[in-house]
Amino acid sequence: MTELPFVDVVGFWVATFLTFCCLSFLYKDNPFYKLAEHLFIGVSVGYLIILQWGDNLQPKLVDALFVRGYRALAEGGSLDRWWVMRGIALVLVVMLFVNALSRRYKWVGRYPVAFVVAFYAGLQINAVAQSELGEQIKFSASTIDAPKVDLNSAPLDQLTSLPGGSPSIAEKLIVERARAPFTSVDDAVTRPSLTAPERADLAETRGHLVGLDARAAVGPGEHDRFGIVSNLLLLLGLLSSLVYFYFSVAHQGVIGKVSRFGVWTLMIGFGASFGLTVQGRISLAIGRAYDVSGRTVGPTDAARIHSLPVAVVCLLLVVGGIVVWELRNRRRSGKDSA
Amino acid sequence: MKEHWSDRLQRFDRRWIFLVMGLAVVVPLFFPLGLPAKPDRMTKAAFNAVDALPEGARVFVSIDLDPASTPEIEPFFRAVILQLKRKNAKLVFATTWYQAPPLVDRYMRETIEVAIAPAGTAGYSGLNDRPYRKNVDYVNLGFRDGKGAIIQAFGSSLRLAFDNHADDGTALERIPMMRGLEKLADFDLIVLVSAGSPGAKEYVQFVGTRERLPMIAACTAVSTTDLAPYFQTGQLIGLVGGMAGSAGYETLVGKPGAGTAGADVLNIGNIVVILAIVFGNVVYFAGRYHRRQRGAS
Repeated sequence: MTELPFVDVVGFWVATFLTFCCLSFLYKDNPFYKLAEHLFIGVSVGYLIILQWGDNLQPKLVDALFVRGYRALAEGGSLDRWWVMRGIALVLVVMLFVNALSRRYKWVGRYPVAFVVAFYAGLQINAVAQSELGEQIKFSASTIDAPKVDLNSAPLDQLTSLPGGSPSIAEKLIVERARAPFTSVDDAVTRPSLTAPERADLAETRGHLVGLDARAAVGPGEHDRFGIVSNLLLLLGLLSSLVYFYFSVAHQGVIGKVSRFGVWTLMIGFGASFGLTVQGRISLAIGRAYDVSGRTVGPTDAARIHSLPVAVVCLLLVVGGIVVWELRNRRRSGKDSA
Repeated sequence: MKEHWSDRLQRFDRRWIFLVMGLAVVVPLFFPLGLPAKPDRMTKAAFNAVDALPEGARVFVSIDLDPASTPEIEPFFRAVILQLKRKNAKLVFATTWYQAPPLVDRYMRETIEVAIAPAGTAGYSGLNDRPYRKNVDYVNLGFRDGKGAIIQAFGSSLRLAFDNHADDGTALERIPMMRGLEKLADFDLIVLVSAGSPGAKEYVQFVGTRERLPMIAACTAVSTTDLAPYFQTGQLIGLVGGMAGSAGYETLVGKPGAGTAGADVLNIGNIVVILAIVFGNVVYFAGRYHRRQRGAS
């Protein structure tokens, strides 16, 4: 791997300093945090402007519309349909700016907005209807029965989806059952063609409630009882949540109780979301800690960055700066009160 | 009257919790516990989907992330790229996030153009991978703006969406591995490294469901509950959620990395959060009980 350029080393130092600047907000709002905040906004806007110019405006507007259009006309050719479409897009953009420039012709700016809203509404309605309503309703409306997977006849994908399953295990099970049908789940998971790690994987997932034994059988007609309860719970949760959002009847009596169950279901969902959000935030902190301690680069680059001494210096700079700032504030407020 | 302990703790300075959380994150970095990272069912399904690919399969990888989401998703990306390279998969990269191009360039340098697990890699016993050559083994199509609309365009014509050029300016018809790859439906698998919107949700909505595309996704922990229903219905055939999911994926691939080490820290962070919630509730209910008792007397 090539050595980290010196500019990237300096980048790491700046990132470490700015990390401590941002974290200083946990104490309270202060000039170091403000510096990082303003720098972030400035850099983001600058980056976005350059990117939009290079990726959209220059190739799709200036080059395509003016440079190539002029060339086509100069060579005696004609303008193609893409040129016309880009021309329409440019007119819509200009109309959008009229909105900001003239009070009298402000109405002109409504047309490009209407175009964008209609375009995305058209795209979104179709997409959401198919992927959210269609597929999700189809899944929710399926049978609550949960038949076990028959190890002696199930296809490859069903064997793969079993707890502890994998494509390679599934293929081996198909070969083994052709040699001699399985007499029990124990028989299936101890066949000689399975490797020791594969057997260990399968052994780890054994269990009659939610494990392999609950989901697999060696004959047809067996049912996963916990799976049925789970499907029933899903159905009840779905219906009661919908009842909670049905406002045409008063939520009293039976409807009130069903709606209450719907609220619990929603709360469990929100709780799961909250827990995962907390995990995400801790992951952010872990990521910064990794970067500051130089663990996201190779050992050679880490040696060049001197991450720990740099982190200590940055921390001292920020803490020292905040102490000086606080002392100055106190002195100033003392003078004011005097 | 003497102040009750719960009243004193109600004024507890929250900055102590920040400090404890900071220590919970930093200390395990230097003294790792080495807790196991077990993959969940969705992560395992994602691994199985890649594992079932034939040798030399053609895979589209959409890298839709920003620097803030890298701790959660980057470990998955590195692990899945190793798994794909072990299968000699032909890789096509694209991104719909404007923050992603600098990261994508770095990933190309660090994971694609060099071997992630060359022979002699310490602590790794799986198959070795090899450096990939640009426009031979992989193509980086680059960034395209347009959110859902551009994802829909990927579904109908990659050449139109990318003006018939790869990110380095090479015309797509001059790249042999792009022959027959006109749209997303031409790929054997679509891997979505997705930190938010536009990302996995839009791929499912705008192309995945309509074209019945085989798609796996890695997302931030926050998005897991949004995307999990797509896994249940089969619209996503695998889902790797957050840092814990990435750690599980690393375990399956057999090369523990930043995800596994991070999950160790994450476990301790979670314990701190649970203790803080319990502490807050104990203080609140004790205070309420005390106030009621005082009111009664």
